[in-house]
This record gives sequence, structure tokens and C-alpha cells, in this order.
Amino acid sequence: MKKTILVVDDSDSIRSLVSFTLETAGYTVLTGIDGQDALQYLEDNEISMIITDLHMPNLDGIGFIRQVRTRTNYQFTPILLLTTESQAEKKEEAKQAGATGWIVKPFQQDKLLATVQKLIR
Amino acid sequence: MDQFTKIFAEEAHDLIANLEKALLTLNQQPDNQQSVEQVFRIMHTLKGNSSMFGFEAMGQLTHHLETLYEFVRSGQSALTPALLTITLSSVDHFRNLLNDPALQHATTLDQHTQLLGQVESLIREKGQIKTTAIDDLNNKTDGVTYYIKFRPAADIFSNGTNPLYLLDELCHLGNCRAIPRMARVPDLESLEPASCYTNWEVFLATDKGEEAIRDVFIFVEDRCELIIQKIADTDLLLMSAFIEQVKEWGTAEDEIAPEALQSAIVSVFHSSSAQVSGNVKNNNEARGAGKTKENTTSSIRVAADKLDTLLNLVSELVTSQARLSLFAEEHSSPELAAIAENVEKISRQLRDNTFSICLLPLETIIVRFQRLVRDLSVELGKEIVLITEGTETELDKTVIESLADPLLHILRNSLDHGIEDANTRLQKGKPRQGKILLKAFYSGAHVHIQIEDDGAGINPAKIREKAISKGLIHPEANLSDKELFDLIFLPGFSTAAKLTDVSGRGVGMDVVRRKISDLRGEVELQSRVDKGTAITIKVPLTLSILDGLLVRIDHTRYVIPLSVVDKCFEVTHHQLSNTFNNLIVLDGEQVPFCYLRNEFNLTSEAPPIEQVVVIRYEDKRVGLSVDVIEGEYQAVLKPLGKLYRQQELISGATILGDGSIALVMDTNKLIKQYSGSANPSLIS
Repeated sequence: MKKTILVVDDSDSIRSLVSFTLETAGYTVLTGIDGQDALQYLEDNEISMIITDLHMPNLDGIGFIRQVRTRTNYQFTPILLLTTESQAEKKEEAKQAGATGWIVKPFQQDKLLATVQKLIR
Repeated sequence: MDQFTKIFAEEAHDLIANLEKALLTLNQQPDNQQSVEQVFRIMHTLKGNSSMFGFEAMGQLTHHLETLYEFVRSGQSALTPALLTITLSSVDHFRNLLNDPALQHATTLDQHTQLLGQVESLIREKGQIKTTAIDDLNNKTDGVTYYIKFRPAADIFSNGTNPLYLLDELCHLGNCRAIPRMARVPDLESLEPASCYTNWEVFLATDKGEEAIRDVFIFVEDRCELIIQKIADTDLLLMSAFIEQVKEWGTAEDEIAPEALQSAIVSVFHSSSAQVSGNVKNNNEARGAGKTKENTTSSIRVAADKLDTLLNLVSELVTSQARLSLFAEEHSSPELAAIAENVEKISRQLRDNTFSICLLPLETIIVRFQRLVRDLSVELGKEIVLITEGTETELDKTVIESLADPLLHILRNSLDHGIEDANTRLQKGKPRQGKILLKAFYSGAHVHIQIEDDGAGINPAKIREKAISKGLIHPEANLSDKELFDLIFLPGFSTAAKLTDVSGRGVGMDVVRRKISDLRGEVELQSRVDKGTAITIKVPLTLSILDGLLVRIDHTRYVIPLSVVDKCFEVTHHQLSNTFNNLIVLDGEQVPFCYLRNEFNLTSEAPPIEQVVVIRYEDKRVGLSVDVIEGEYQAVLKPLGKLYRQQELISGATILGDGSIALVMDTNKLIKQYSGSANPSLIS
């Protein structure tokens, strides 16, 4: 069965690029425009993995991860963070909140896939 | 990738516009924390995205700017005007970069190096410069064998990690043998299913280097115990003796003791010759390339020309629908009538909907103005603030585009000639800071845009002098203030004593008026000396379709825009022809009227009963006489042919349902021309 990945980013171009990359690799992709928006997908979908940006309006990446981890179904779901190299301290905070790993922007498409495949099969 | 670059460019345009807006807010309220946050966030997004889509130069600059705004955000440094100026220049530069990402033009390159230098020096002032080190550690070594001890923390699952995947990944790096150690697994009763009790020992032969191995564990480095030890400079796993040894270790309970490991390696080297053993490699199962889209987006981007096509099609539909209605009327078939009515209803809704799509808030051009006011007030050494109201007012995008230039011109005038410098203002007892208020609001099918400044105002006497000296009016002409102000809009009239850089050269208010008239709009100016000047622009919401009243005079049909129609009256021909001074009493009020049959030089016999359509003209009511009122009509405006462009009374034509043509009256021009009262003393 195809795995579903939830991509959360407030930037249209990143969303498109990430979903395109993942869809080409055979994943089903759901997209949320910010943390708040993405929460709606959690209930009705079996999401194997979440990729989220850090800075977003309404609900930022860290807040979003905290919310996700409160749900029983998503306690062990891998969550990847999209970050830039300048956010070392944020990375730590996100890890505390329950993030599994991160991808540093700018990233190559195959790097993204490699990281995804590192976490889900 | 191209398609993404395009999306990126569009998105970047939006981001840059938002950035500019936030910066301008900061310009007015430097301690607005929210705007600082916003600037930081946009910089951040721009930086991340731009380097991903090949806009390296932009990434570079945004990176440094982000650093600077990080300082501002965290309170380490204040937001200085210098920083703001550099950022605003960068905003312009970003726009150039979108077209020239590789810095091919010399000017872009110059600008880039200059800005980069300025930004970097600002950062250096703070004594911290972050470098964009992209680690490219290619420690190429071939066939080195490592011993890896991996002891994950019990709670490793809780951040979504599956340790088995990590081991799998290790195996992809090269030849690999893993031994699980399950000594820590407790009894079933005390076993916590969400905890991890297993350790692993791994032998890995790889040419990727230790860095690559650490990379595998990068997400869990603080949630595990990890020992990576280089045990040989060759691939030990190619030696059968070593593999035997590993198997033996695997059956043992305990982990390998370091000494045992050491001695085993030594003995393997001594005893055995290298034997090639088969590689154990996991094949990555091929993944299907099927696609599903479940994108839910709240808005989509559409190319502007697609919208134009849609608008055109809707216009055509409205025309065809009018024909259908007419046809249905002529053939008294109730079924046909029902269909025609339905089509009419739907096409009306479709029309309204399509128009609302093409509407843009005025805000889209206001940002430019904010910028202009800021830049110019600095240049002119005046303190001026632009306050906007009702910028959410929506207008057709073509109207908005055509409005930008006239509005800019008016603003420039206010900045340059209207508002005085701080000293003069203080002497006059006004606040130091000059104020320009830009206000937009709906009024019927029109949008009013008012630009009001609290500057020096215009002295009507001066206009009069000037107009006389330019030969625009007769020296003895007796004009009201309103008429005098109107002169400003005449070609060849410019009140500025000398032309400055700011308010342009030779392009006067007449151009403003012409541009607005092209939009079927009006401009009006009011001013009081030392109090300020207010210019009101009135433009229609949309250009291509208008609701009108279809009337007939003789054999020609005309459309009067419904928005100006006040009331219709039925009168006898006698009432109209037998009047003094073209006044008629309607509803107990005297209303001046134009007898269009005379004005149009029609010689045919007038019908005994005629209609008077009362029009709102400026703040008065004026009647227009017509033969017959045929009804309401949605007119799809078509321009007149080349030959008729010069005349002003008819603003366009429309094709009626039966294929004949109706002319759309420009009632303002019509009344102005025929009432004979407008600018009576103008020498034309």
C-alpha cells in the first residue's frame, strides 16, 4: 500500500516541490498550509510520516509537533523538520517536542527522498 | 524543475511585496515587534526557497539580512534607519534578481556587491558573522572496516525513530554484519512495549568514511550510545575467517570484549588469505510511480490572460442571452420563455461572479505609494506620512492598473507642492508632520478615491492669474472657485513655479484627467488655502459591462448607464416644447432638461407623449428627453470605430439582441455640452 505523507509548509513553492518529489517516488501526499490547517488531516488519514516547516503563521512547526504527539495514533510517527542551518537551537527545541529528524534547506530532491526512506519503509 | 521555478518566482513576488509592506510599517512604527517578526520570517522563507530554486545570489543576501533581523528580533540591536534603507534597497534588488538570478547584467551585479558589502559591514559591526558553510566532506577512503556499537535509549521510539531502519541504512553503506544483543530485554510482565531494549553490534566495511556513519545516526545522536571504531584499513568482511569469527560472536550472550576484538583481527590477518565472499545486499524494491493528488488549496493562481478570455466569453454570452430573450419574447412559447429566463438568471450570476474574480483590492497598488511617500519625503527633506483608508475596496484589475499612474502623479504633487516643509508648517501653526490621507469607498457602481493633504492648498486667485496669462480664460471672465479649480485639469496648465524632479516635467493634471476619463471616471479638486487640497477620483467598478436603461429617440436606440438614472417621467410633447429656459416641473421641483431631439438635430415629428429620464449630474438633477423607454439592459460595451473616437458624447456601443446597435451615452459630457453652462467663458 502506498504510504501517506503529510507536508506542512506555508510556502507554496516548497509544498509543490516536496509533494512532487514524494509523489514521483510513489507516496501519497497531503499538504497543509500551516500547522493549524494540517491538524485537520490527522483524524481521517493514516499518515505514515509528517514533514513540516518551522516558521509558519497560526501554528508553527514546534507547536504543531507538540499537538501531533498528543494524539495516540501519532506517538511513533516520524516527523521531519524543514530547517535552515541557522536554527540550531530551534532544532533542539523541536526534538524535545518530538521531532524525529530534520532536513536542512536548501536540499536536493534525492536527499529528501533518502531522508524520508531513512524513516519509513 | 522549471515549473517550480515559476511558482517560486510568483511566490517570491508576493513575499517581496509583503516584505515591503512590513518594512514600511516599521518605517512608521520602528518598535512594531509583529512587523519585525514578519520581516524575519519572510527573509527566512526567501532565503530557504531561493537557494533551493537556483537563486543563489538572493539566498546569499537574504541570509545576511536574516541574521541582522535576528539581532533586531532578539533585541540585540535596534532597528536603525540605515538598516531599513538597505533592506528597502534590497527589496528592489530582489525584484531584479528574480529576472536576473545569475547576476548577468553589470548593474545587477554592482548593486548586489554593493548591498552585500553594506549588509556585511552592518553584521561585522555586531561582531558576528555567520558563514554559510556547506559541509562537503568527501573523505574518500576505500574499504575501511568499522566496529559500531549502537545502544539506543529506551525511549527512542517516542520521537518516531525505528532503529531497524537505521541498521538497514548502515547496510546500504557497504558490507555489513549486525549482531543484536538482547540481554537487557526483561520478563514479559515488566516489559514496556513502547521501549527499546535491544543493542546492536555492527561490523561495517565501507568507503564512505566515518562521517557517513555518523550521518546515519544524526537524528538520534542524543538518544543513544554510539561507539564507532575503525578496526582495519581493509574490508575484513571479505575474509571468510573473519566472518566465521563474527558468527561465533553472534551466538555468544555477551558483547564482544575490546581485547577479543583486537586479537581476533590480528589472527585473521595472519592466518587467512583473502577470500571473496558474496555480497549481501538488500535490494531496494522498486517503487511504483503512481500519483494521487489530494491538494486542498484555498486559492489558485490563474494567468491574467485566461481571466481576460473568460471575461470576453462572458460578455459574448450576455449578448447571446439577450438575443435568446428577445427570440423567446417573439415566439410565445411558455417553455422557451422559461428556458430563456433561466439562461438570463444564470448568465447574470456568471457575469457577477466572473467580475468579482477580476476585482483586486486597491491595496495592491497602495504599497507602491507608501514607498514613494517615504522615499520622496526623505529626498525633499519633509516629514510626511501617508494614511490609507478603505484599501480593501476592490476594483477591476485593468482599472487598478490604469489608476496607478494618475494616483502617483497626484501624490507627487501633494508631496512636492502641497505639503510645506516642517518650519513653514510650524509657523502656520500646523503639526510638523504633513499628512496625506488616501481614502477609497464604494458609491453605487463607482469607487471614489480621495487624496487629501493638509498642505498649503491652492489659491484660486493664482489660478486665475495664471489662466489669464496663458490665455486660457478671458481676463473679465467671472468664474466660481469650482470652475477655477477645474482649469487645473486643462492641457498646458501647470501651477508649479518651477519643475522639480519630483513632480515630473510637463506632464500635468490634464493627463490625470484624460487617463481617468478613459476609464469613464471623473476627477474633481477642492482646495482651501493653508488648509489643504482634496482630489476626488470617481471610477466605475468595471469597464466592459454596464447596467443601462435602453431608450429610443427617433429610430436610434441609446443606453443610459443605470447608475446615473434617478427617475423616469412621462410627459406630453407640449410640456416640453412650451417651457421657459428649459425647465420642467417634476414632482413639484423645477428640473432643467435637455431636449435631445433638438440637440441631435432630428427633424422628424416628435411623438405626442415623450419620456424624461432624470439624471444625477454632479450634485444636480437634469432631465433628458427621449421618445420611448424600452427597459433595462445589460450592455456589453464595445468601442466605437476609429472615425467616431473624437466625439465625446457617446462612450461606446453595444449590440442588442436583435443584432442592431445601441449607443451608450456619456451623460456627463452630454449635459455639460448641451446645458451650455459649463465653463461658459472658456475661449475654445
